Amino acid sequence: MDRLIEKWQDKITEVRIGATKEQGGTRGKNITIGGETGIYFIKDEDKCPNPPAIAMEVWDMEPSEAWSETLKSCFGAALKDPAEWAKMCVEKFSADMICLRLAGTNPDTKNDSPEKAGKTLEKILKAVSVPLVVIGGSSPEKDNEVMVHCAEVSRGENCLFGIATQENYKTLAAACLSGGHSIISEAPIDINIAKQLNILICDMQFPADKIVIHHATGALGYGLEYTYSIMERTRLAGLSGDKMLSMPMISFVGHETWRTKEAKSGDETAKEWGSAKDRGILLESATAAAYINVGADILVMNHPKAVEETKKMITKLCKA
Amino acid sequence: MKEFIIRFLPEKRSVSVDKGTDLLTAAIRSGINIYNSCGGEGVCGRCKVIVKKGKYRTEYSGRIQEKEQKKGYVLACRTTPESDMTVHIPEESRLSGIEVLTDGAKASRLSGLYTPAEDIQEEPQHKTKPKLFKHGPLSTKIFLKLPRPSIDDNLSDTDRLFREIRKNHDIPVMQMGLANIKKLPGLLRESNWELTVTLGNRNGTTEIVIIEPGDHSPENFGVSLDIGTTTIVAYLIDLNTQKVLAANASHNPQVDFGEDVISRIIYAEKEKGLEKLHHAVVDTVNMLIANLVNEKSLTLDDITAVMCAGNTTMMHLLLKIDPAYIRKEPYIPAANSIPVIRAAEAGIKIHPRGLLSCMPSIGSYVGGDIVSGILASGMDNTKDLCLFVDLGTNGEVALGNKEYFLACSTSAGPCFEGGGLTSGIRAMKGAIQKVSVKDNALSIETIGGLPPKGICGSGAIDIISVFMRHKIIDRSGKIKDNKICEVKEEGRVKRITLVDKKSSGIGKEICIDENDIKNIIHSKGAIYTGIEVLLKEAGYAKSDIKHVFIAGGLGTSLGIRSAINIGLLPDLPEEIFEFMGNTSVTGAKMGILSQEAMEKAYSIAEKITYLDLSASPGFMNNYSAALFLPHTDINLFPSVKEIL
Repeated sequence: MDRLIEKWQDKITEVRIGATKEQGGTRGKNITIGGETGIYFIKDEDKCPNPPAIAMEVWDMEPSEAWSETLKSCFGAALKDPAEWAKMCVEKFSADMICLRLAGTNPDTKNDSPEKAGKTLEKILKAVSVPLVVIGGSSPEKDNEVMVHCAEVSRGENCLFGIATQENYKTLAAACLSGGHSIISEAPIDINIAKQLNILICDMQFPADKIVIHHATGALGYGLEYTYSIMERTRLAGLSGDKMLSMPMISFVGHETWRTKEAKSGDETAKEWGSAKDRGILLESATAAAYINVGADILVMNHPKAVEETKKMITKLCKA
Repeated sequence: MKEFIIRFLPEKRSVSVDKGTDLLTAAIRSGINIYNSCGGEGVCGRCKVIVKKGKYRTEYSGRIQEKEQKKGYVLACRTTPESDMTVHIPEESRLSGIEVLTDGAKASRLSGLYTPAEDIQEEPQHKTKPKLFKHGPLSTKIFLKLPRPSIDDNLSDTDRLFREIRKNHDIPVMQMGLANIKKLPGLLRESNWELTVTLGNRNGTTEIVIIEPGDHSPENFGVSLDIGTTTIVAYLIDLNTQKVLAANASHNPQVDFGEDVISRIIYAEKEKGLEKLHHAVVDTVNMLIANLVNEKSLTLDDITAVMCAGNTTMMHLLLKIDPAYIRKEPYIPAANSIPVIRAAEAGIKIHPRGLLSCMPSIGSYVGGDIVSGILASGMDNTKDLCLFVDLGTNGEVALGNKEYFLACSTSAGPCFEGGGLTSGIRAMKGAIQKVSVKDNALSIETIGGLPPKGICGSGAIDIISVFMRHKIIDRSGKIKDNKICEVKEEGRVKRITLVDKKSSGIGKEICIDENDIKNIIHSKGAIYTGIEVLLKEAGYAKSDIKHVFIAGGLGTSLGIRSAINIGLLPDLPEEIFEFMGNTSVTGAKMGILSQEAMEKAYSIAEKITYLDLSASPGFMNNYSAALFLPHTDINLFPSVKEIL
């Protein structure tokens, strides 16, 4: 019996992150994501032109209480120095990209100034040559100041800046437009708002091929099915020709997984959960696997072992 | 308990209240009507008053801006006196009285709200050509000369009367009440066997309602009423000539107890709540009827019939039926069709034996006003697919043709009647109903050309459309910096002043802010989604719709183009739309004049299937897609895509 091959009207927009010297930046290479011609990894439908990229998360401050010992032990002293940490992720753990989370700028943590955040960003740009994702400290007001400054100091590098929301997108979009960067547009598990936000951003003369969609990320057991189905709908809409939903998608897999009690708690909590050493890694890898299958183009991850496993899986899937 | 005296300005009207009584209650008690959309919950922010003197306790909400707080502004419903007080009630917090609506009716035609009698004479030329119904009013007066009884013709007085009536009229079943039977023998003999009989159609039988000596058959009048959630409209009709002699309108004073039906049902559950709501509406109806009667030098006894149309809750409250179960799952009204009763039973003052008939309802949330509207539009006479949209508080939508109807209630909110907007007012003289941009500046038009008092529904629709086209707002309704109007910002909410303090008719600027725009987008999104769901359930595409009838009291006219631009109405050729104004009272008029029309109304009500939107899969998704200008999917609005 013949296999039925679905023919899609359109393909997912290709977005290039990072700028090399020729392109006005200092990155050693850039990364292109998106471009899918069908549902990920379905033979003969998706030509898989750009495999999903993995960005490893680096903070501008030491993630003391926020991170579990299992996670922290992988990086050791490097956690104190963002540049060293980033270098380690790229050189030792083969991260495709670095995702700088400016957690220290949040008024509830260290309330670092935009200038300090800018310095950290500059150091990382010098320390590694991979493309960068830069996200704020989850304080919309402060982020507006911090991101404007960071977009300026990294002018021309074509970083992927986030996170633009319906309530707060204009400042970030304007900063990215002027600094030549790409943007993450986020809607809380609502495909309509996701599309509306993309329309609003494009109405500011922002190029559609510099937008990456984030639909919130749910870890396995923590709402993954909601984000999975909304991402699936987005992808189907994009492949069916909806230009305002045909952008690539990003998932913050590591951050969400390592917040769960299953990943964080030690051996003493529940024996039937298995060893604390493996639990978080398994959860992170499994969550990543789900998002890859629904079409995530960038996975932001934390644990080196989970990164390794996920990379292996991507290679296998792409070959098949 | 301690008592305080509250003095209201500028009336200088004083009222004594117990400690703990809020200022809103005090004002209502003193006879001053204040806007109070939320029923005294401190949410709507419409009952702002200014404290001039006295101590008080108040809760500030986001509805009072900081600047206003300093000037002594408080929400009347959230403020209780701690001493005697003097309180000024500003113009914008007042409910306009009926004089606004009745005064100068000839100058401007408020077809949505109130049409002067001379304009109603000619039936409007509808595209669907509603059937002309056979004249056969709810009550008919006939003059009879009875042959005197004799030994050879010894029928009883009652049978004699019946026999005479049947000589000219084919009425197999007739009844007469005991009061009339008692009265008959004397009356016949004193009147020389010449009398006028009023025949009433009562639920399939004919009743001899009134008997009176002499010939009064030319004087037979009725009143048709639209009992709206916000407005009550009455027509005085000559039941013989079928002409509308006079029209009158008033706001529904139940607004004092809550702006939408739900808050009124909740109020009815309070002690004496139902009674208060019932009296509020009946008193207004009686006042309107008395005004009409006076205007035409008639007496109340000349009015023999009343026909009412209104939503299900309004009908319950009019008849003092407990509406509580309308609100509770599974949402069951006490009755959908009310039999013809004596108007006096409901407290309506006409002839004491005069009749009251009500348009049948379909269910808890689609009422007799919609049946009346469908009857008036004539959409039940055509094979073509028609859409009926009532831009009222409940936002009912009906789809169908002579075969069937699907209807739903979208709970659009009071936006299109001026509620829920900072400067919103009902369609009255001085309401802004058109806006355009001329020479890079805003230009406005008001009803009757009076100094602007606020924004009515069609004005709000026009404003959003104009703002969107001129990029004053973005497609999510957020105000942008622009070259046409100045943008002010307070507490992160941007607003645009349409009319400054000097030029306005209320001594205060008229403005629209981002929250207002959001409210309008929510209302228009609800209506559009209702239309979308009905089409989907019926298995039609929007291009299958051949006629669209728009009803509602949102202005004297409605810019169809603007309504399409903002995504309120589907993108269809403008010529298939028809703005019909108040179809509820038009249908009630048809019903009082023709038994045939009434039968039609019953058959329409039977044909309508009510659809609960909340039970429709995908409704929320469709709704959130509609909360954008004109819509998240611009391809649904190709004509708007071109102009954006």
